[in-house]
Amino acid sequence: MGDKTLVPSGLAYLADNIISKQNILGTAKEARARWAKDLNLKQTGDTVFFVGCGYQYAGELDLLSSMARKADKSILGADRLVGLAGLPKKLGINPVSMLSKSKADSADPLKDAVKVLGKLGVKFGYLGSEEPCCVGLLYYTGLHRDFAQNAQATYNKLKSFGVKRLISIVPSCTYTLRNLFLPFIGGYDLEVKHFVEVILENLPSMKLRFPGEAKVAYHDSCQMVRFLGMKEEPRQILRAIKGIDFVETEWTKGEWATCCGGGGGFEAIFPELSHILAVNRVKELLETGAEIIVTHCPGCIMQLKSGLKELKSGVKVLDLAQVVAMSLEA
Amino acid sequence: MVFGEYKKELMDAAHNERIRLALSRAIKSYRSNTNTALKKFPHTIKLAEEVLEIKAKAIAEMEKLVQQVSQAIEENKGKAYIARTAKDALEIIDGLVGTGKLIVKGKSMTGEEIGLREHLEEKGNEVYETDLGEFIIQKLHSRPMHILSPSIHVPKEDVAKLFSEITGKELPPDDISKLVATARELLRDKFFKADIGISGANVVAAETGTLFMIENEGNIRLATGAPPVHIALIGMEKLVPTLSDAFKVAEVTWRYANYTVPSYVSLVSGPSKTGDIEKVTTYGAHGPKELHVIFLDAGRTELAKHPVLRQALYCLRCGGCLYECPVFAVTAGYFGDKLFGGLGAVWAAMVTKDRQKAAAMAYTCLTCGRCKVRCPMKIDVPTMCVELRRLLVEGA
Repeated sequence: MGDKTLVPSGLAYLADNIISKQNILGTAKEARARWAKDLNLKQTGDTVFFVGCGYQYAGELDLLSSMARKADKSILGADRLVGLAGLPKKLGINPVSMLSKSKADSADPLKDAVKVLGKLGVKFGYLGSEEPCCVGLLYYTGLHRDFAQNAQATYNKLKSFGVKRLISIVPSCTYTLRNLFLPFIGGYDLEVKHFVEVILENLPSMKLRFPGEAKVAYHDSCQMVRFLGMKEEPRQILRAIKGIDFVETEWTKGEWATCCGGGGGFEAIFPELSHILAVNRVKELLETGAEIIVTHCPGCIMQLKSGLKELKSGVKVLDLAQVVAMSLEA
Repeated sequence: MVFGEYKKELMDAAHNERIRLALSRAIKSYRSNTNTALKKFPHTIKLAEEVLEIKAKAIAEMEKLVQQVSQAIEENKGKAYIARTAKDALEIIDGLVGTGKLIVKGKSMTGEEIGLREHLEEKGNEVYETDLGEFIIQKLHSRPMHILSPSIHVPKEDVAKLFSEITGKELPPDDISKLVATARELLRDKFFKADIGISGANVVAAETGTLFMIENEGNIRLATGAPPVHIALIGMEKLVPTLSDAFKVAEVTWRYANYTVPSYVSLVSGPSKTGDIEKVTTYGAHGPKELHVIFLDAGRTELAKHPVLRQALYCLRCGGCLYECPVFAVTAGYFGDKLFGGLGAVWAAMVTKDRQKAAAMAYTCLTCGRCKVRCPMKIDVPTMCVELRRLLVEGA
């Protein structure tokens, strides 16, 4: 017999948002896709760019998680179950209103990805506020009945727009759409490519020059390296960029990379512990002497930034899409 | 409010600098030692694949193997028992031990699972843990925090303090050999005075009824060799068909437990005997006169039927996964119950049947998957934890 109360409340909150509003933050449909409003992307096409929740709500999620962390530490005390659930209400904050406070740079990886795809001559559309959620979080929460139902709705919606191929950029969405949907949807026929794979196909024809010289370390996200199996792809891209001195950690690289502490909704259940793990991972990466940490996951970016802030480090975190966009030669 | 209490313990551990210090030292040396061991014996990787096949097959026929091994042990003049529950196992042991006995014990996670030491003490027996780490844990009134290195969370400074208190002599933390010698001194006579020695086993060959016990300290050799009675408590998942299978399992186990080769592997198939006087077989020579082997089911048969979670039974208990778990690195066994990490969550749900604890642990798994990369049996802990969440939240 199942017992839904066993889902930790932080995770239950995010899952409810997905079920009721089809996005992790529970924002209204109109509030979505703001990052792309000046880009004039068309909504149609066989191939669409799938952006997911992570990048476009990066600012809001960061704010929410730092509040949850503080509450986890102090306000509500560690002896109680604390997560994101009920927290915005408790603190008198409406998560939707946070949209206005979101940091300007949070969606830059998406704009840069669009720039790179454009430069490569890739034809693609973007569903904008009509883009459905990958609903992967429901799967990881253990709500597989909800996942099955919502995944089907997502698939139907994509099909209703005539979508045949997806270029997906969030690793977790990519894995969900490519792998987790398969056993749940009969006759699943969407081709799902990750953004990195598209770049790699075009790498021989690309001239990449980083503005200046920099020592760069790469942080493998769990979903990228251990779920999608993309270990060499991002490394090949970074090695192809002139001006980048690529450095690696001794043990914790590739399939041995240490999780940033944000895996599987963990930061919503254990905000403070998640932060401790982020700091630990950052320490490992700083041992390389890197000036820039590159990764390719909105969750990892948020975690690594918070870890660096804690350590008062001046090292920057950039998304791989940003680094490639910066390195495109005119 | 199981989750709240669990989370508080977990966070207290995460803020404990001593746990983190001890763990970071342990992780570093584990990785380096394992790397060396695998480089020196590169065939281990292929052997692990073979062992996975052996285990998968053995788990599917666990009931057949437990009947076979029981017969083999009886033929060897030992006694075999099948305990379907933890309670059954404790009752069998009570019947053999009684009260007022001096007992020396080797480390056993199966013993831990059924609360064996505490139970024997409650029944009025004097029990000595003889594994150094477990001895430290017993004296600290703590609980094991790693399957192979139970006192992994205790730095040398704390061990020195503890042993100084016990002996009344000031022991410096930097002289680890002095600390080890102190434990030897404290336990030496107990092995020879003990009425009973208790152990587990790492793997058991069903066809011959042979128990394999892997160790470095020599405490298991003494605890199972010196007293007149040897009792072994073993989870049914430790059974494999043949001696040659068992050797393979043993080698992969110790290699991934970071050893090129352990100092000792004891093979026990029956009580000690001699035929040196007129070829009359007489039991009870220099080793124990009695061997009692208890095989514990306690949910394992049910677990073996589950298509996803059954792989928890493939675990060799090498402990490698724990050194790769980012949560374990800061909380040690507080991310655990009877067993630790994501595997511990499955154990809590299916073996010790504590749903609240199981859920709390299943949601503590990052599902990052680095443990799977390390695991010689390629146990997919993230998939198991997600399936366990589903099972707990949605039901079968």
